[in-house]
Amino acid sequence: MNAQLENPPETAVLELPPEVVKLAIKDLSFFYGQKQALFDVSVSFAADAVTALIGPSGCGKSTLLRVLNRMYSLYPGQRAQGQVMLDGEDMLSPRVDVATLRARVGMVFQKPTPFPMSIYDNVAYGVKLYEKLSKADMAIRVEDSLRRAALWDEVKDKLKESGLSLSGGQQQRLCVARGIAVKPEVLLLDEPASALDPISTARLEETIAELKRDYTIVIVTHNMGQAARLSDHTGFMYLGKLIEFGETEQLFTNPVTTRARDYITGRFG
Amino acid sequence: MTAAADVPSPTPTAPSRSAFGAAFDKGFEILCFSAATFLLAALGGIVVSLAIGGWPAFQTFGLNFFVSAEWDPVQEIYGAAGAVTGTLVTASLALLFALPLAFGIAIFLVELCPPLLRRPIGTAVELLAGIPSIVYGMWGLFVFAPWFAKHVQMPIMMSAEPGTLWEKITTGVPNGAGILSASIILAIMILPFIAATMRELLLTIPAQVRESAYGLGSTTFEVVRKVSIPYVRTGAIGAIMLGLGRALGETMAVTFIIGNAHGFPTSIFASGSTIASTIANEFAEATERLHAASLIALGLVLFLITFVVLALARLLIGRQANL
Repeated sequence: MNAQLENPPETAVLELPPEVVKLAIKDLSFFYGQKQALFDVSVSFAADAVTALIGPSGCGKSTLLRVLNRMYSLYPGQRAQGQVMLDGEDMLSPRVDVATLRARVGMVFQKPTPFPMSIYDNVAYGVKLYEKLSKADMAIRVEDSLRRAALWDEVKDKLKESGLSLSGGQQQRLCVARGIAVKPEVLLLDEPASALDPISTARLEETIAELKRDYTIVIVTHNMGQAARLSDHTGFMYLGKLIEFGETEQLFTNPVTTRARDYITGRFG
Repeated sequence: MTAAADVPSPTPTAPSRSAFGAAFDKGFEILCFSAATFLLAALGGIVVSLAIGGWPAFQTFGLNFFVSAEWDPVQEIYGAAGAVTGTLVTASLALLFALPLAFGIAIFLVELCPPLLRRPIGTAVELLAGIPSIVYGMWGLFVFAPWFAKHVQMPIMMSAEPGTLWEKITTGVPNGAGILSASIILAIMILPFIAATMRELLLTIPAQVRESAYGLGSTTFEVVRKVSIPYVRTGAIGAIMLGLGRALGETMAVTFIIGNAHGFPTSIFASGSTIASTIANEFAEATERLHAASLIALGLVLFLITFVVLALARLLIGRQANL
């Protein structure tokens, strides 16, 4: 057993060197109406790496993701305070156009959400919002995105069929392809494997490992094995606060805070 | 006492339920089956009695009953074409007017409405659906028609160049009662029905699907057009067709305001008639055998038109479901 500190700190957040930081959150608080869901969260996510957010249900990890692309702004009464710096620019500033932000910060949800259109159109949909590509260029973009999402071989002969005709795991990879087709810089994954069977989960994890070469990926997961397998950094959240953030290996083998240790060793959560 | 006596019997009998349960279940099955077959029998009975009742008209006029618009109780000549045209034209125009409004209301309520306004508007839609059709008819005749004649019909008729097609389709007695007025009243009547159904349908779209679309950076209009409406397409077609069905069969309000003239409607302001309004107007005085038979035959035609509309809806829904 690793040496435990005499007086373990309440929180321990690793500061990343500024040159690797893609997305920096500063003093972020979030409110669902009167209820505060995030308390002064400050953390940085590294470029071309996977950061996992873990913690018990209701700890605020999904809420944190929803702030990063301002998804909350669809709902009146939800508001955020603080800063989300993407390449040094505050994304929460009202001057930043939401559509442009969301093109830079893509999101994949818990359940597959294919649109009611063909597989091809599902992937092309987002691209058409921002770029005027020729037919040939679009076909290349769609194929490339589907290949990156490890779905191309399974759908290349039925691109005209409805996205809803695919299996759950394929639908989720279709959503990943749709998300990366617009060439975002950051990809947010909100428990992307929670509705999938083990085989589909394994394929999705391969896809994520593949994608991190080009994208900054933030993944919320309930599955600690998944967080350990996939991520470079891990943040542990509890009751709306970021308790511990550090290298994944360190956090899983030698957590500094008591709460993180209790959670990881299965004492609660 | 031997030890063997304590051992439970090697082949225990399966727990059995009283025979009453099984018998009751059989009875339950039969009751459900008869409820369903009763419906079929009622439908068949109505069709058969309409066909028998209308037979003298079909026999006397043959194909002319469907082609001719002449409806003359004095000379006992009856043709359904005028009423059929009136029915189809008013119902289609009503749908044309109601659809954009209904979509607008539903989309506003689901996507854009501030929570404070959601309830009042939603309630207004439901109340509008609850107004009895005779009230719509009276309001149409006493309030809407005079206003419509003065502020819409007259200006349009005055501004129409003589001799043009526009002049031709806008002539009519400027009393506000006619094909267009009836269509507008019908549109108001089917509007809440379609809007409420569309709203329910839009609410069935999972939040995550809408968020995905917004998450790619779509505007509200893009989400509605590319994702929300296609998502509920099947149900929307059903809602529209049911609205059309209502417009086709609506009687009282139309009878009040359509002007009740027989024959082909010649312009949008001209008086006309629909199948339902003709039947409502004339049934009490149809003492001649052929007159009554012709009205019943009209009823059969209306039934067939509605049936075709519903069948088309089914067909469309089936095709979309395969997409």
